[in-house]
Amino acid sequence: MSQPTPSAPRRAPLLFLGPFAVLFALFFVVPIVYALWQSFTGVRRTGPLGLGGSRTVFAGLSNYAAALTQTGFAASLLRILIFGVVVVPVMIVAATALALMLDAASARWPRFFRAVYFLPYGIPGVIASILWSFLYLPGLSPILEVLGKLGIDVDPLGGTGVLWAIANIVIWEFAGYNMLVIVAQLQSVPGDLYDAARVDGANAWQMIWRIKLPLIRPAVVLTTVFTIIGTLQLFAEPMVLKRGAPAITNDYTPNVSAYNQAFTYNNYGLAAAEAVLLALAAFVLSFGFLRLVGRGGRAGGAR
Amino acid sequence: MARILGAHRIAAAVVALALVLSGCAGGGGRKGPIELTFWSWVPGIDKSVALWNRTHPGVQVHLDQITAGADGGYAKMFSAVKAGSGPDVAQVEYWAIPAFVLEGGLVDLSKHGVRQYQNRFVPWQWNQGVFNGGVYAVPQASGPMALYYRADLFAKYGLKPPATWADYAKAAAVIKQKDPTASIGTFPPANSQWFISLAWQAGAHWFGAADKWSVDIDDPATQKVASYWDGLRRKGLVDTMPDVQTGWYKAVHDGKILAWVGPQWGDALLKGNAPNTAGKWRVAPMPQWDPKHEASSNWGGSSSAVLRGTTHPDEAMQFAVWLNTDRGSINDLIAGGYGWPAAAGALKGSALDHPDPFFGGQRYNDVFADADKHIDTGWRWIPTTMSLIDTLNTGFTNAITSPHGTFLGAVRTAQTTTVRDMRRKGLQVVAPPER
Repeated sequence: MSQPTPSAPRRAPLLFLGPFAVLFALFFVVPIVYALWQSFTGVRRTGPLGLGGSRTVFAGLSNYAAALTQTGFAASLLRILIFGVVVVPVMIVAATALALMLDAASARWPRFFRAVYFLPYGIPGVIASILWSFLYLPGLSPILEVLGKLGIDVDPLGGTGVLWAIANIVIWEFAGYNMLVIVAQLQSVPGDLYDAARVDGANAWQMIWRIKLPLIRPAVVLTTVFTIIGTLQLFAEPMVLKRGAPAITNDYTPNVSAYNQAFTYNNYGLAAAEAVLLALAAFVLSFGFLRLVGRGGRAGGAR
Repeated sequence: MARILGAHRIAAAVVALALVLSGCAGGGGRKGPIELTFWSWVPGIDKSVALWNRTHPGVQVHLDQITAGADGGYAKMFSAVKAGSGPDVAQVEYWAIPAFVLEGGLVDLSKHGVRQYQNRFVPWQWNQGVFNGGVYAVPQASGPMALYYRADLFAKYGLKPPATWADYAKAAAVIKQKDPTASIGTFPPANSQWFISLAWQAGAHWFGAADKWSVDIDDPATQKVASYWDGLRRKGLVDTMPDVQTGWYKAVHDGKILAWVGPQWGDALLKGNAPNTAGKWRVAPMPQWDPKHEASSNWGGSSSAVLRGTTHPDEAMQFAVWLNTDRGSINDLIAGGYGWPAAAGALKGSALDHPDPFFGGQRYNDVFADADKHIDTGWRWIPTTMSLIDTLNTGFTNAITSPHGTFLGAVRTAQTTTVRDMRRKGLQVVAPPER
């Protein structure tokens, strides 16, 4: 056995980690630290009309205070929480149900329908929003026209109902993707489990409840976390729909608010504070959820 | 400059590369024309740029069509200025100039001799670019206001174009009574620039930019306007759909909106989006608060500004002045529907100076020419206009979606929010005591 030189094994991991570490530091750690620093800064100006020059000053927690009390940011967080309370369960139930239907023994053309359900995910969010905005516009939408003829007058873009118009787009876009994740897990379930269940006399429902659902649990948890984070980051849909929907304000969702503070109003400190608060919220919610289901998983004796 | 590579841009890059290479081969360093980049979204401005490039071989301008300012164009420009990679010349609306000046994004053209061109422009529009003695923008166009109305439907309902706001309210009631699905017009909650224009007409002076910024948004004139529209809305006499977008165009097209207090540049929007209504429109002066003192107003207005970071400020300024004063360029811009020329005396003999079949052969621009003479020219904007517009949009929207909201309340909120916004930017602000 040839003895490797003592330094080689130590250098190899560094070499492999190097590219990742550099990119991770440059595009992840540095921006986060920069945003954190920015969130504690403000600006002072001198001269007539403040045109005499400006300097960056330490602003303490004033940006955080402003974000939570003086802007619509707090309201946007609340709005997105209400949105999530509805969208996340609907999304996961829909994705799971679609996956189970495609996996059922009696399913016809499962490959075709899998592709069809997945298709919306292939359409960029902006395009999807434009598509749906035409279906939402009174006077243009064939759906609204048919409903109108039936005596049901709805205006999805008018008033506060637009939040649920957005929810519909988001579910349409992502349910298929989440379904695919769950389908992948379903397909990894060993066939002999089903054979054994059948021998024991289990019917289709029992197989779903006793075998499929427990075994796809990790995929469902994963898609739920994705959906929670995706919901908090809602951005493209309201940005597109706002043209025809006056209820969508410049601080409609936390991300829209931070974007506008930074790039429309040049309040970088305030925008950074909002971004940090949003990241904290995403952290608390997703890890809170993981802890919650993690406990349940162990109690259920999955191992 | 990170941009999407289109075929023509690759071609331009190849040409530029060839020029650089040939320059190097000649050993004479950098030769060939000076190249400027210009960001704009004005339709038809490409023709003006092409005209400049044909007539000015020494300075070639590359136009980049960007998203309209408030829709993301300014965000792009602010980022570019911050990164030092902006264009040489850019489209900046009057209301956005102070924000760019404050961020140090614009070149003070008075240091490059721009004042020699001052007399070529309408004075109040020139002043939109003047701050603290510096000149930061070359005015391009504005939007004097008037009343577009459907002459056929007004005649059918026995109405005349309202001369006063009281008449407007009466006409609104008649129209609602004759056709409950139609309205005289809409209060566009998400388009507060329209409301600002109406306050401007009523004699409001929201902002001052003398030595310190001053902010007085909820002054008596503005309160009068806000209460007036609160009243019309409470009685259900006006629609509250957003204007100048798909649903509104459809309503205009279908004859469900009978009039529009709108800017001169709105003519292209009506023609383009409701072509079937051709010949049925006329233009009358804006309804008046006091018929004895005719007052009009302005909506919009845009300039060409030279951005910090340019290496050719003099050529960039020359281009900006030419773009907005050259007869050929102005006619190209008029054809694109850019608005009312900021160049003094540009109307006579221009493409605007004709009867128009869309307006039943009316020389409708005469109405706007008259309106232009009755605009309160003391209007100023502030560095946080965008935030103010959004605050008003939010306030007006809440007013129509919540049971007790009012436009008046939205205006009051805007005053406190704006003062706070500006102070957060490190500015000193003079504001009247709370009313």
